[in-house]
Amino acid sequence: MEEYAVQTRSLSKHYGDVRAVDGLDLNVHRGEIYAFLGRNGAGKTTTIRMLLGLVKPTRGEAVILGHRVIPGQSGVFRSVGYLVETATAYPNLTVEENLDIQRRLTGAPKAAVSEMVDRLRLGPYARRRAGRLSLGNLQRLALARALLHAPDLLILDEPANALDPAGIVEVRDLLRTLAAGEGTTVFLSSHILSEVAHLADRIGIVHEGRLLEELNRAQLLAKENPCVEVTTSDLDRARTLLEAIGFARLEARDGWLRIFDAPGREAEVARAIVGGGLDLRSMNTTHEDLESYFLRMTGGIES
Amino acid sequence: MTGQVFFTEFLKLRRSRITWLTTLAFSLMPLGCGLFMWIVREPGRAAALGLLGTKASFMGLEATWTGYIGMIIQAVGVIGLLLLSVIASYLFGREYSERTAKNMMALPIARHWFVAAKLTVAFAWFGAIIAICLAETFIVGSALGLPGLSSGIALRGAGEILLAAGVSFLLMPVTAWIATLGKGYLPPLGFAILTLVLGTVLGATGWGKWFPWSIVPLFAGTAGPRAETLAPGSLIVVFLTFAAGIAATIGQLRWSDNTQ
Repeated sequence: MEEYAVQTRSLSKHYGDVRAVDGLDLNVHRGEIYAFLGRNGAGKTTTIRMLLGLVKPTRGEAVILGHRVIPGQSGVFRSVGYLVETATAYPNLTVEENLDIQRRLTGAPKAAVSEMVDRLRLGPYARRRAGRLSLGNLQRLALARALLHAPDLLILDEPANALDPAGIVEVRDLLRTLAAGEGTTVFLSSHILSEVAHLADRIGIVHEGRLLEELNRAQLLAKENPCVEVTTSDLDRARTLLEAIGFARLEARDGWLRIFDAPGREAEVARAIVGGGLDLRSMNTTHEDLESYFLRMTGGIES
Repeated sequence: MTGQVFFTEFLKLRRSRITWLTTLAFSLMPLGCGLFMWIVREPGRAAALGLLGTKASFMGLEATWTGYIGMIIQAVGVIGLLLLSVIASYLFGREYSERTAKNMMALPIARHWFVAAKLTVAFAWFGAIIAICLAETFIVGSALGLPGLSSGIALRGAGEILLAAGVSFLLMPVTAWIATLGKGYLPPLGFAILTLVLGTVLGATGWGKWFPWSIVPLFAGTAGPRAETLAPGSLIVVFLTFAAGIAATIGQLRWSDNTQ
């Protein structure tokens, strides 16, 4: 059996001058949960489309469950469940009927429909037309469709879209169970780091079509950098004062000034700010949250 | 699973209003033609009906089975082409308009089977409507008591109606291709209007028998004097158009990017 469920080699997709995906090399192990993380427009959905053979790569290749993906050749998808971008279904058909169509086309057993309806808590809506479902329940239907034939590999584009907090937790638990209990490989995309930080075994951060960094969970949690956060009467002036005495890793955001090389040197920070004639309104030692780390990685925060 | 592709394409039509609307709209056609026959047969009453009666009397129609069937063939030729465009745009365009194409195309089934299944559904849908239309034609004509019915006229009339419908169907795959190329309902409907106009205009020229969308209007008699038979060359053009439409639709699904 292949070691990897998903592999890409120099996978690229260019639209004219726009490099939607650029030289992507991914190795997703069988049975792991891999989160593909990036801001909107980072190239996540285009990558997923290439993995599913919906879009032809400009260069490079994708290999799924040991088979090279060639658009139009469909055999490889027998063991793949997927959800691409927004959840959709035939609006004139009920939840059960939509799932029944998927069941017939994937060769899943008849009982799989009711099993998935129960598993995704779609029971009260089973006979409701998909066109009359809330966005959250439509998302559940799309997830049920992806899981219906017990695939070895799940490729999910923003699976938590439109779900309420309880729904997000349910889906997270479901994916964990599938990976741990049934050995299903999960490749999911997200633009919210906190959503995947405690779910994924590994996270690949993608930005402007390129893979910036790959981290396992331990490495990721280690990125929660300690820092000193201060608020003062003049953040710019405080920054200048602190830089003048040698602090180099500063970041201003949301009315706070974060100094990453200040833990253990809090007194120096306080003296510099007060000595410079500014009011020191608050000061505490904390950790940078993962979202800030992600935003800084992808250019959302300027250091 | 290949057989299931065909079955599921029929399942997708459940609760679709468009199937009933198209059937209802097309089934009004023999009634409309019957109304014209009645007006032509009763010129006094036709005059009392104002413009409708005036127009009817100017059409040079004869209130006979031959005239009535000729009118039905005209209607099948023109409205049938439009109806098939609606069917093609619904079956193929809905997958894009409802954003389900991306789900369909990553299934473990070769994409050409979806084309085959959708064309089969279109054939059954259109065929059922034509069968209803044919039965209604004879019921309405009999109810009107039109003169001149013989088994020969009935068989020939039915054959010509079916031929006009069949040739129209052979042009449908091109509309299906436009639906997949344009990714929605509207492009194929625009294409239908364009080909209707072009077909009528070119039908009046010597090029008509070579232009696929003029062939049905020429046979139906809506683009000049009615051609009683289809020239072999025209039939070849129509079959080539059918094959090209299928190949283009399969190629579009198989090789073009789905970025919906």
